[in-house]
Amino acid sequence: MTQPIVICQQATKRYGKKTALDKLTITIPTGRIVGVLGPNGCGKSSLFRAITGLIRVDEGSIEVLGQQPGWQTNRGIAYLPDRGRWYPNHSARQALEWGESLLPGFDMDTAKRLANFMDVDLEMKLSGMSRGQEARILLILCMARNVPLIILDEPFAGIDVMSREAIISGLIDYLENRNQSVLISTHDIQEVEGLFDYTVMMNQGTAIWSGEMDDLRAEYGSLHNVFRTLYKKEWKP
Amino acid sequence: MEKQQVGSLRFQIDFSQPLHEQILDQVRSAIAKGEIGLGEKMPSVRELAQELRMNPNTVMRAYQELERDGLTEKRRGQGTFVTSSPERVQVFRTDLAAKYIDAFLAQMSSLGLTWTDVKAYIQQNHTSDKGGDRS
Repeated sequence: MTQPIVICQQATKRYGKKTALDKLTITIPTGRIVGVLGPNGCGKSSLFRAITGLIRVDEGSIEVLGQQPGWQTNRGIAYLPDRGRWYPNHSARQALEWGESLLPGFDMDTAKRLANFMDVDLEMKLSGMSRGQEARILLILCMARNVPLIILDEPFAGIDVMSREAIISGLIDYLENRNQSVLISTHDIQEVEGLFDYTVMMNQGTAIWSGEMDDLRAEYGSLHNVFRTLYKKEWKP
Repeated sequence: MEKQQVGSLRFQIDFSQPLHEQILDQVRSAIAKGEIGLGEKMPSVRELAQELRMNPNTVMRAYQELERDGLTEKRRGQGTFVTSSPERVQVFRTDLAAKYIDAFLAQMSSLGLTWTDVKAYIQQNHTSDKGGDRS
């Protein structure tokens, strides 16, 4: 049995009166594409920030890559933050060059292949790009890294269908034959649900279900149904 | 649920059911029915994952199981191929038929039908089928 990629035990994080993570206890196995799902404000981003050491939990513990989160573990994590942006005066090529010189494990050939696959014009300036094009650049900066863990926080938010298709294709193409773990949070489940093979369903800072996606399907049916049953309300993607 | 054609394979994936079983079942039945021929090349894991918008790991797991069944074989550097042994497919087809018949009988008995009822019905149906063939 390989070591899990992430272990949370009773992890709790409060912002004033608001509890972002509430005694969250989960174990995420290595080498999976994990959907971290749940409504807005359920703690998905807080979990990712805790894994990447951007916030420290008040109680309980979090372990990633077998250690406490910090700069050492961040070498091994490619993190796409929610609402991420890039320097507007850079061209796509400059952004990738920045990645090559600063990001551990960054592979320029992979980056260019992905850029080509996702129809990114390398000479285009970020300032002239649409939200979807910029999102592709940020995603390439993550995915071109040969690191054990990739975390994508809402990679599809505000992105048109074509860009989303290109991103999903890029993910599938790239992830084959790699023993990388990927955590993806999203509330746009529609085109991506086939991508996940492991799922963490969150609500109010805690995991209300986690396990094999195929077990979830066998138990509840489609994700649409899962949301209806687990969250007791109609899911509107 | 959409139908998707990948090479000579046709898929109909329902995202509310376990995915790896669906791939497995649908490839198995394609081989048993001869929709994909003996010795024919299977789509690559990547190709199938792309077409079905699915995790390559899920596709890979199904492929590994097909290989264990002896229905496909991996050739180094060339990809995965349907077995070229007609006997192997024949055995598999018989097993599959047995499984369908068991499921059918289980359903009949849950309807409260006895074997005699079922047999009579099948016989009647079979005879009228033959009649149909002759005309």
